[in-house]
Amino acid sequence: MTTENKHEGSTHHLREYGAQTPGTKGIPGKKRYSMVIDLRKCIGCMSCVVACKAEYGVPLGVWRTWVMVADKGRYPDSRRIFMPRLCNHCDYPICVRNCPTQATFKHEEGFVLQRYNRCIGCRTCVVACPYNARHFLPAKRTNNNLPKLVVDKCTFCIHRVKKGLVPACVQACVGGARVFGDINNPKSEVAKLVAKERVSVLKPELGTSPSVYYIGGDWEIMDETHNYKNRSAQQKAEFNTFKRNHHGDAFGDIVEGENTMHHVGKNMSDFLASIQHKYHDVVAALKQLLFG
Amino acid sequence: METIITYNAVHHNPWGTPITIYFWLVGASAGSFVLSAFGWVFGIKRYKPLALTASILAIAMLMIVPVLLIWDLGKPFRFIYLMLPGFWHGTAPMAWGSLLILSYPISMFVYTYFVIKNDQKWAKIIGIIAIVLALSTHWYTGVVMELNPGRYINHTPLAPLLFLTGAFISGIGLMILVLWIQNQFMREEKKIKWALMEEMGQYMMYGIVFDCFLLFLDFMQTQYGTASENIGHHTVLMEIFFTPYVWLEAVIGLIIPLLILVSPLKRTRLGVYSASLLVAGGVYGMRIWWVMGGLYMQSFY
Repeated sequence: MTTENKHEGSTHHLREYGAQTPGTKGIPGKKRYSMVIDLRKCIGCMSCVVACKAEYGVPLGVWRTWVMVADKGRYPDSRRIFMPRLCNHCDYPICVRNCPTQATFKHEEGFVLQRYNRCIGCRTCVVACPYNARHFLPAKRTNNNLPKLVVDKCTFCIHRVKKGLVPACVQACVGGARVFGDINNPKSEVAKLVAKERVSVLKPELGTSPSVYYIGGDWEIMDETHNYKNRSAQQKAEFNTFKRNHHGDAFGDIVEGENTMHHVGKNMSDFLASIQHKYHDVVAALKQLLFG
Repeated sequence: METIITYNAVHHNPWGTPITIYFWLVGASAGSFVLSAFGWVFGIKRYKPLALTASILAIAMLMIVPVLLIWDLGKPFRFIYLMLPGFWHGTAPMAWGSLLILSYPISMFVYTYFVIKNDQKWAKIIGIIAIVLALSTHWYTGVVMELNPGRYINHTPLAPLLFLTGAFISGIGLMILVLWIQNQFMREEKKIKWALMEEMGQYMMYGIVFDCFLLFLDFMQTQYGTASENIGHHTVLMEIFFTPYVWLEAVIGLIIPLLILVSPLKRTRLGVYSASLLVAGGVYGMRIWWVMGGLYMQSFY
């Protein structure tokens, strides 16, 4: 085990508040599924993103996993670096302790999961998550049976893992950069990699104890503040276009470089517009309650 | 060696304008209720004539809150889950808040009933409970975002104090304006005396000074704090949220009213009424930068 894991072993009682958040990392006899992403092997092909989208029918504009891209250095001494992102399935998840209805919970084997039938769509967990790993499902889905207007997230493909398969993103990774397994089992590949390699996690200072480890992580792409400061002009434009053209749900999107108060007002009109499709949902729920 | 981020997934700010309005309404409601309690709970008799107006104003503002909060949910009908024992999650600040938002208006209704009945004993007992609930409800609006360590702008223990001070001054400001309007329709002997409103203006001034002090503490924290706090302040609040942060909150909501209330204008009706209007509106600026500004930076991560 690495120094970090020894540290985990000695501190795992510190944050065991919240109805469903016992830390299982390093606990003998317990499974603790984790992922190691070897960034030296990632080629930025986005197969993982496509596999995930296909596995769950993830709607446009939201992601369970995505790959960040950065350009490091100046030509001719430059290179492109990638960093796949997903839910970190924290041992001490802020989203779980802050969810008011126990809709999100931590499975004993380490999966942080979402129960759609309990979720009220308050988005507290989205506010709580420091990794942007959660998203709000839109009102319009291609398949009407899929959940809507609730929060969704990566599940570490628990349905596949329980059948002895690896998550879809791991299966699809052409470079073998993503490795998945039980970190509590010293014979597993993830445990061996974490023991042998220098690994880093995202935002370790927050005390969440993430279960996604990166090998060869570059601090500049991993750091939120650096990310914000060093966005390319193209990325700023992309974000602004996305936020400007978004209508219909109650988000607090502000477009950089445009009148903030205008967008505060527009946000309110989006909220009022969203009442229409929520109203149908309320009527349907009432009918269900009264007439079964 | 410089690293430029060229692609990332785009993320929404999860909370928006309805939440900012809710924070403002709860604050102004709590502030108004404190004034109502001056006479019946704290025994300052000259405040008794305005107690009923103040508590009705507090109730009226709080009645709008559920409309905003429930329709802001993805599943509005499921708001009931927040109160059901099988769902209620004791470690979640929002779970505490749901109980407070439910119990605070009930206690205010009961308090107002005893005020109308002129029952000093019960008005005082229920008033004490209601004032604790009023302050707790607004304290909760501070902590609901504070207890997210990943949100650097919001993650400060000053949050509840900033909210409560803003509530106090915006509540007084709004109350002075309502009393002014009420006086237009009252017989001379029923009118709220100008001296009382002048005194409320002075309380508002003390609150503004304390709010400025808290903002200064927050500013110092961002200057000497972590890179995230510093960048959050310099590039998010001072650039993108410049209008609500500097113009609306600092200049319109605090500096101009403070200048009015320390000058001879504090003895004039125009001075006190305009300061009240500016404070009541200006505090909304804080709610905007707190919610939307606090969530902004991470949407790029």
